[in-house]
Amino acid sequence: MPRGDELSAPRTHWAKNVARLKALTVDAILLTTAGIMVEFLLMAFSGVRGPTGMLLTAEEILDRIHYPWLIMSGVILAFLWNLFYGWIGASPGRALVRGVGEREAALPWSHTLRGWFTVLFIELTFFTGWLITEVDLPTFLTKFSKASDIVRGLFHPSATVLHQGILLLVQTVFLAFMATAFAIPVAFALSFLAARNLTRGSALTRAVYTLTRTGMNFTRAVEPLVWALIFISWVGIGPFAGVLALWVHSVAALTKLYSEQIESIDPGPVEAITATGASTLQVIRYGVVPQVIPPFLSFTIYRWDINVRMSTIIGFVGGGGIGYILKPRVDLGEWGEVGTLVLLIAITVWLMDIVSARIREKIV
Amino acid sequence: MSPGRDVAVRLEGVGKVFPGNVRALADVNLEVAEGEFLVVLGLSGSGKSTLLRCINRLLDPTSGRIWIFGSEITAAQGAELRRMRRQVAMIFQQFNLVRRHTVLTNVLSGTLGRAGLLPSLFLRFPAAERERALAALERVGIAERAGARADALSGGQQQRVAIARALMQEPRVILADEPVASLDPALRHSVMRHVEGLNREEGLTVICSLHDIDLVKQYATRVVALRQGRLVWEGAPGDLDRDTFHDIYGTDAEPASNTTI
Ligand SMILES: Nc1ncnc2c1ncn2[C@@H]1O[C@H](COP(=O)(O)OP(=O)(O)OP(=O)(O)O)[C@@H](O)[C@H]1O
Ligand SMILES: [Mg+2]
Repeated sequence: MPRGDELSAPRTHWAKNVARLKALTVDAILLTTAGIMVEFLLMAFSGVRGPTGMLLTAEEILDRIHYPWLIMSGVILAFLWNLFYGWIGASPGRALVRGVGEREAALPWSHTLRGWFTVLFIELTFFTGWLITEVDLPTFLTKFSKASDIVRGLFHPSATVLHQGILLLVQTVFLAFMATAFAIPVAFALSFLAARNLTRGSALTRAVYTLTRTGMNFTRAVEPLVWALIFISWVGIGPFAGVLALWVHSVAALTKLYSEQIESIDPGPVEAITATGASTLQVIRYGVVPQVIPPFLSFTIYRWDINVRMSTIIGFVGGGGIGYILKPRVDLGEWGEVGTLVLLIAITVWLMDIVSARIREKIV
Repeated sequence: MSPGRDVAVRLEGVGKVFPGNVRALADVNLEVAEGEFLVVLGLSGSGKSTLLRCINRLLDPTSGRIWIFGSEITAAQGAELRRMRRQVAMIFQQFNLVRRHTVLTNVLSGTLGRAGLLPSLFLRFPAAERERALAALERVGIAERAGARADALSGGQQQRVAIARALMQEPRVILADEPVASLDPALRHSVMRHVEGLNREEGLTVICSLHDIDLVKQYATRVVALRQGRLVWEGAPGDLDRDTFHDIYGTDAEPASNTTI
């Protein structure tokens, strides 16, 4: 039953071509993006006016850029750079995907084309970003007076919302707690499926691993506020929607942390328990679980801490907690009351932070 | 080709290639008779650990076949493989106890192969097994530490707990991968004597990798040596002289009494 030997030759060849393609793609994207930013800045500073006679806004410029041309030239340049890297030095994509030779790596950035390209790219990004995000320093520096009564309000909290604020704060902390509590068993079970060292066995388990990982990465990429919107239309406005939103996000986050912990355990006890003739479940119970319980506890408390933070604003969209009364006060400009609520939130988050840090110190 | 009744472990053309084309074992043929104390010698990286781990299928050999008391373990899967593993206990250089469990639970974990699944998942074991575990601890001389956490024990004590765990498995073969290499020289004999006891008194077959030439001469009944994954020497411990030593370890090495090689 020999494996590996015969396969390795074509496999390395294949891997090389994949790496080449990756480097080429990265370069094409970088060069095209650089081209787009150059044309953007040229148009912005050339004083071209639109049909209304006004200077073009950033969005209007973005609409007029010659994308097909830029993509084509980006791809061609990427091709050339990857072809002639021997003369002009490795391209950024090649350097990222396959690394550079020792001699080239020793050169200072200003002696390589790649270095100059990187610097140019960062500058381009900065100036393009300045225009796209409509940075306006003069306004920022001269118009403070409008905001000053807000700041004054924050420093003169009003007592009228104190009672309701404290009640909702209790709800906020419980909301975070319930989300965390519901997340623990689900994340615990999923983390074993998302741990590479436990899923090497067969093609089926490897597929489960990939599926779990991908699902969790996607779930984590969506912010809890967005999940809250989904659950509000499902179970209605209120703290339960907030619990569900934080729960989904926590499951994904905890699964990732738990499974990484499982991947870094000492394989020794796993081997020892396997050698007794134990079954997979027993190996996990004796070889894995005792090793991961303390870090799991620590991650979970940290997650509760984060969930308290998040649950203070999940009310902005209707997910319950203190944010639910904060948002209307902001809209009405009742800054004294906003000040009270912000102080309550700050104190709670600060206390949670200290408590969770203390407990975690004790565990690990 | 069927192996005789007294053959405990039999390897036929066993090879192991790790991913990345690392050849750890090549065409190893070996027969170990029941009751032998076989020592495996070899430089670091010569494949000793790989060989031992192939015997109980902690690693899958990439070629060849292995029999344990006449049944082919390389053909076994699932429950059949686990049943065969129960006959082969293993002792490790790093002891590999479950550090957060008590000494007693660690010893009881040797019975997992025959324990009921559900109770075992809650760390519950039958009273009879608990008594036998205490007796096993008594035998290795640390019964009074039964309730302590495993990582509260010294290295030598931990290795004795590991021996008690192996004993609980009721094995017919013991694999020991450098069982005393991370212990103080003074403690080595105390651990080795327990392994020897299992071999002499219970008639268990022992396959043990060692680095210390004095220990080899004292405990082994037969010695084999690996070099770059191949069996290069086989003989009685008394035959280990300067020349064979150089054959095994290369011409630069010097056998020094009482030193680790
Ligand atoms: N999991 C693995 N993946 C890849 N290569 C491995 C793996 N385990 C061992 N090897 C390689 O196989 C060869 C034999 O290793 P092995 O651990 O069996 O040697 P050893 O004789 O036990 O050495 P030591 O005395 O250091 O314990 C070495 O070259 C090692 O690098
Ligand atoms: Mg080894």
